[in-house]
Order: sequence, then C-alpha cells, then structure tokens
Amino acid sequence: MVCIATFYSHFGAMRFKKDCEGWGIPAKLMPVPRDLSSSCGTCVRYESDTACPTGNWPEEMEQAVAVTGEGYQALWRAEHS
Amino acid sequence: MELKREKTGIILAGLVIGVIAAVLVVLGNPLNMGFCIACFLRDTAGALGLHSAANVQYIRPEIIGLVLGSFLLATVRKEFGSKGGSAPVTRFVLGFFVMIGCLMFLGCPFRMILRLAGGDLNAVFGLVGFVCGILVGVFFLTRGYSLKRTYQLPALEGRILPVVQVVLLVLLIAAPAFIHFTEAGGGPGAQHAAIAVSLVAGLVVGALAQRTRLCMVGGIRDVVLFREWKLLAGFVAIFASALVCNLILTGATPNVYFKLGMAGQAVAHTDGLWNALGMLLVGFGCVLLGGCPLRQLVLAGEGNTDSAITVIGLVAGAAFAHNFGLASSGEGPTANGKIAVLIGIAVVAIIACCNTFGKKRGE
Repeated sequence: MVCIATFYSHFGAMRFKKDCEGWGIPAKLMPVPRDLSSSCGTCVRYESDTACPTGNWPEEMEQAVAVTGEGYQALWRAEHS
Repeated sequence: MELKREKTGIILAGLVIGVIAAVLVVLGNPLNMGFCIACFLRDTAGALGLHSAANVQYIRPEIIGLVLGSFLLATVRKEFGSKGGSAPVTRFVLGFFVMIGCLMFLGCPFRMILRLAGGDLNAVFGLVGFVCGILVGVFFLTRGYSLKRTYQLPALEGRILPVVQVVLLVLLIAAPAFIHFTEAGGGPGAQHAAIAVSLVAGLVVGALAQRTRLCMVGGIRDVVLFREWKLLAGFVAIFASALVCNLILTGATPNVYFKLGMAGQAVAHTDGLWNALGMLLVGFGCVLLGGCPLRQLVLAGEGNTDSAITVIGLVAGAAFAHNFGLASSGEGPTANGKIAVLIGIAVVAIIACCNTFGKKRGE
C-alpha cells in the first residue's frame, strides 16, 4: 500500500526516508498534501506491505496514513498531537 | 491531479490577494503597502503605546482580519486545534529579530513583493538577501535543525489570540483616549482605508491564506528542497496581479501607483546592502520558524500557540525597534539598526547551531 507519514521536523522526515531505503522500501520526500493537513512541511510517501516498515514508529513522526481512492485512512498518530 | 488542483487554487488565491492589496492602496493605505505584516504590527504596537513614533500608530484592521479569517475558516472546516509547546521562548526571540530585519528593509516578505509590483527596485536587493537567508536556513534544516514537537493544548489556549483581535477591533472602533492614532497628514499611520474595508480585506486574505497555506518562505524553501513551485506560484500570482493593477491604475487615474527605479520610492530607502542584510535576517529567521510573518498570523488563527508567541515576538521587536532607533526610514538605515541586524544574524545563527548540532540523535 502507498502511505504518507508527516513529521514534526524536516530532519525527522529525512531520517525516516533514509531508514525506509535501508529496509529496501521505496520512499520519497515531498511537501505535505493540503488535503492531509493544514500544516506545511515535509512528509514521506512510501510503499510498504506493513504500516510501519521500520519496526518502530519514529519519535519525530506525527502521523501515518494510507492513501486510498477516497482520500486517506489513518494508520497511526502520535500521542497528544 | 491533487497537486494540480492545489496549484490552481494557490494561483487563483494569489491573483485575488494581489488585486485586494492594490485596491487597499487606492482606498487609503500607503503606497506599495496594501498589506505589510511587519508595518501593520508595528502600527498596532504604536497605537497601544508600546512605542512612541507618532507617525506610525494605528490599529490595523487587516491584521485583525487575517487572524480572524484564518480562525473562522479553520473552525468551519474543523481544522482548528490548540497546540503548542515547541520551543516558545526561542520562537519569541526569532520573531523579535525577524521584525528587526523587516524594519531595516521596511517591509515583510509580503510587502517586498508589493514593492516590486510598484516598481521599487530596492526590493530586488531585499529579495536577494531573503533568498540567501532561506538558503542558510535550509542548510540547517537538512542537517537536523528542529525546535521539537508540538503538543495538544486546552482549546482556550488557541482561542486567546483571536479573542485579543476582537478586543483590538473594539478599541479601534471606540477609539478611547489611551489609544494612539497618527494625526492626519502625520505619516504612514494616518494613511489607511476605511475600517470595514480593511477588515473585510483581512478576513478574505486570512481565509485564502489558511486554505492555500500561502507562505513566501515555504514557497522558496519547497523549491530548494523538492523543486516544488506550488507555494511560490501563489506569490508570483500576487506580484503579477498587483503589477497589472498598479499599471492600470497609473494609466487610468491621476495618481502614480507604479514608478520604476530606486530613488524616491514610498516608505523605502536606497541602501542596497542593508536592504539585503535586513531581509537575509528575515529569511533565515523565518525558515527556522517554519513560515513568514503572514503564515505565523494564519497559524495563530488556526490555534497554533507557538505562532501566537512568534507574533508577540514580532510586536515586541517592532516596539523595541522604534524605541531604540533601530528602524530605517526613507532617509536610510540607522547606525543602531545596522548593529541590531548584525546581532540578529548572530543570534539566529546561534539558535540554528544549538538546535542542529547541539543535540544527539533521538534526543
């Protein structure tokens, strides 16, 4: 499935992308889509069979969603975010 | 398709905002100052007696409208959310020095575009400095800069700044004796469109900026990081529509709204080096903040208290700049202002270094 993860910092997104690539998962940095959030910043679009391809949700990740035909399906969200 | 739709929306919003900015000048705002977040916050600070520069004192309804426009649209679309806690004091300091940079140049990034659209070539130096500042900021972003995460807060926290805007509107309309207003003919503070017009203009632009996430800093940052022109296209659209409006108005009315050159421009000086350095400080600081002053107002309207703190920092910077002779004038920059900009660049660089290299992985 195609997923998008948003982060609290640009570097968090860079680090996650690098981790994804280390696991052999195609990943790409891009601006956060407006339909997903009113915040601007960097997100990672990745393709993976599992929601969390790197084992643990990174501390700097805000949320992860699956891209569906109708929009986005929430996979995970950081506590108190 | 989604990206194309976003881009079309941003360009349309930019075109509308450019027209609104040009019309506000016709209706009374200073030349090339249909909107200027820095100048308008500075005027509001003066009206509240936070500084005593008599020529720039007026509660600007555009600012009130920007925050409330964002607040109302975010509330209607269920995007309002109180959050904060991401290095608020650091953000205050960054906001403070961003304002010092703006008042060296005499305008925020938004006004820089409007100055260019009015033929003010001094703004080209500002633009060069601004881009350089953003590039420096991006250097730190790609090496780990972060002010850490935000947290959900009680709803009241995010609603305080919008409520303050309502209080300011009441003070503007009631005009009690303790609020300072520049006397007619006394300077830029006395040049303004009617309250209702300015307020509606602010509401529309605030809502459009909330919907499109318009941000001058984010636009250039995204081009550098992703080769993504979407956000920047909005500001190109503002420039284009304001330019066309200025040319039409200059041809169709006795007044001059477009004058190509450097000398004799409205609320501007011709010192290229300090125009550039002022905006370098603005670009650098705004990348570390995550958005330009306009974006900070819009985010504050959405309930982001970190942006509200940044806005308070901008206001404090404006008051400080006029109380201590840091702000430039049409005569040029002041010696105090030059020192303050250099201190600002140093402070912002230290903040960038401490939040990039001064932390360990996962901290």
